[in-house]
Amino acid sequence: MRARRFVWTHMLELFPARTIGPFGRRQRHARGGKIPVTVVTGFLGAGKTTLVRRFLATEEGRGTAVVVNEFGAEGIDDALIRTSTDETVLLGNGCLCCTARTDLQVALRALVADRARGAVPHFRRVVIETSGLADPGPVLQTFATDRALGGEFHLELAVALVDAETALATLAWSAEARKQVILADRLIVTKVDVAGTALAERVEERLRALNPHAPIERAIFGRIDPQSLVAAPAPPMAGGAGARGFVAEAAHSDGIASFVLAQEAPMPWAPFARAMDVLTSLRGPDLLRVKGFVAVEGCQGPVLVQFVQHLADAPVELQAWPDGRRGTRLVFITRNLPERVVRDLFAAVQAVAAPP
Amino acid sequence: MSDRDKNPLASGPQESIAWNFKLIAHHELNGFGGMGEGMAIQVAKDGRRILWLAHESAPKNFTAVDVSDPRKPKVVCQTDLPHSDVRSNSLELTGDILAVAYQTKQPGMKPAGMDLFDISTPENPKLISHFDCSGPMSRGVHQLWFCDGEYVHMAAGAPDFLPNNQLDDQCYRIIDVRNPSKPHEVGRWWLPGTRQGDNVAPPVRHKPPLPDMGFRAHNTNVYPQRPDRAYLGYLDGGMIILDISNKSAPQLVSRFDHSPPYAGFTHTLVPLFERNLLVMTDESVVDRAQDWPKLVWILDGRDETNPIPIATCPLPPVDSWANRGGRFGAHNLFENTPGPHSWYSEDVIIGTFFNGGLRAYDISNPYQPKEIATFVPPAPPLSKAGAIQLNDVFVDERQIVYTVDRLVGGLYILEMDF
Repeated sequence: MRARRFVWTHMLELFPARTIGPFGRRQRHARGGKIPVTVVTGFLGAGKTTLVRRFLATEEGRGTAVVVNEFGAEGIDDALIRTSTDETVLLGNGCLCCTARTDLQVALRALVADRARGAVPHFRRVVIETSGLADPGPVLQTFATDRALGGEFHLELAVALVDAETALATLAWSAEARKQVILADRLIVTKVDVAGTALAERVEERLRALNPHAPIERAIFGRIDPQSLVAAPAPPMAGGAGARGFVAEAAHSDGIASFVLAQEAPMPWAPFARAMDVLTSLRGPDLLRVKGFVAVEGCQGPVLVQFVQHLADAPVELQAWPDGRRGTRLVFITRNLPERVVRDLFAAVQAVAAPP
Repeated sequence: MSDRDKNPLASGPQESIAWNFKLIAHHELNGFGGMGEGMAIQVAKDGRRILWLAHESAPKNFTAVDVSDPRKPKVVCQTDLPHSDVRSNSLELTGDILAVAYQTKQPGMKPAGMDLFDISTPENPKLISHFDCSGPMSRGVHQLWFCDGEYVHMAAGAPDFLPNNQLDDQCYRIIDVRNPSKPHEVGRWWLPGTRQGDNVAPPVRHKPPLPDMGFRAHNTNVYPQRPDRAYLGYLDGGMIILDISNKSAPQLVSRFDHSPPYAGFTHTLVPLFERNLLVMTDESVVDRAQDWPKLVWILDGRDETNPIPIATCPLPPVDSWANRGGRFGAHNLFENTPGPHSWYSEDVIIGTFFNGGLRAYDISNPYQPKEIATFVPPAPPLSKAGAIQLNDVFVDERQIVYTVDRLVGGLYILEMDF
């Protein structure tokens, strides 16, 4: 699906209301009425299962459906198992677990249908535990369009777990491991208690080089703040308040660049959407992820946008700026697409849209 | 064999669902938790916030709950009915005056009418006056609306209102209460043909398999945005908009009657003035959803003389919920009740659906309502339905949501999180 064009707004304009913006109801949370999804990545042995299992036992974890998207790994169910059918295991604390043996989309579609008809407990979030070897790109892509599962699910955040003991070696040899780190909204360093703080600090330095925008947390004995799996961090400010334009912050050996577009002045929606149309249609495969807030002219709150390659999630206007600081802040993660090119494209389209 | 025997994962009436609603308090109301469809907020002179609640049936009349701290509700007053053949399932208030509706089991009984109370001291409501609606064919007042301090709009019988069919005994009546000691009727309207002596034919009654529930008024809403309009649910008569610019002679503006083929019992009609939309509900009144489908309808109201249904609010599959216990289907909505202590929304609709719980819908695109929040508490202990039966909902201006069980569960207080 191409980036969404707002041809349908004229239908809404039949029945306008002050509380409804061009993107629909202004939502308290980005998820709105969709089921929030947390994607947990991390190489084998990084401690995904331990972390998810502990999370399920917390208040925040209550009512979680875990989808294990991998082959032959130990399940999360050994300690919590209550009862099961062929596909799905009921856990304690209102949680359930199913294994996506073949197709993640099929598993998720079945879950949401079963939830509606009461065939499984009414879970309130989904955690996807990916295969250690997986490139997280295709998983994130699953939610990046409202045509398929994006209408039911909201990709809240991607969390990458990194084993402090082995991370430096793994990140050196594995492009998938680097991609897991690069695409994450939050990084969690595990086994710090085993590796020691000195090594953990070197690992964190490497992580910051790969992904300067994601907050880094440490898990001690598999324990983290459960909120780390629930709430996406706010998009980062770039270059401090008042910054304008792009700030290049990282370039990687894989040709991957990550940078923040920051602009304090609100922009009209049309030039933003047209510039993204150009990027998604001409360079979709190289647009690994774009996520953040756009300050749109005429909107009260930030407009949350998410793109994965050529796919665009439906934009959502939030009721308020989370930290009170207005201004566009978009994290771009691109391949062989330098930030200068993107910056010049946005500047050109904005200039075309608003001649002096 | 129960659903759970067939599928060990199946959700059942003991399951608690809280999706984008957060339960912050539950009060069983001293063991009298069978609640009706009257809910109103008073902020007393001493600053306490008091939620007044009507009971579904005898023995209790009404209960007042201090919800100043919504996490710690406290019952401050609970009153009794004079006998078990009367119920007071509706109440409303303006300022410190509370209006309570009384309906008897049989026509001709008393008290059948309305009480006005001075509730300036919430612990000690003082009766100001009783407005008598009893009569040979009257069961009194089922529902009332009282939001401007001047007029009560009610679904009521009257001493002189003799319907052709007993089921049609409650018409729309407008009562002037500007002097609360001496309430008096200023106007009324009934569906032509329902009163003895009308010069038009009686309406065609619903025939089996549809239940014949009667052609009478239910909710009678009037809003300050359009004080010259009354928005009625008229049970088997569908929805009705009246011009009440002359209260002594209400005039029909429009009527939309979708039954048959639907099963009638149109209950509530809420106008969304800014958006030119109408929201209508049909109440489910038969257990196990035998009168399905009972829906929340969205109507295009741009031409008030020609309301057009454009969508319904989606519910989970009936075959999964019909047998959870008791009723399943639409009933009350939060009606944007006018007043300083009431929420107001034209993009989110919140309704109660008996065992389907409480559900919120985003109708920013009115053609595609989308459920955004669900609250289904577990079956209250001793509930004869074996499931929750959420009956009514009120939202205050703090965006605190109050909902009540029809049978025993009492009051549930929630926060919205969408």
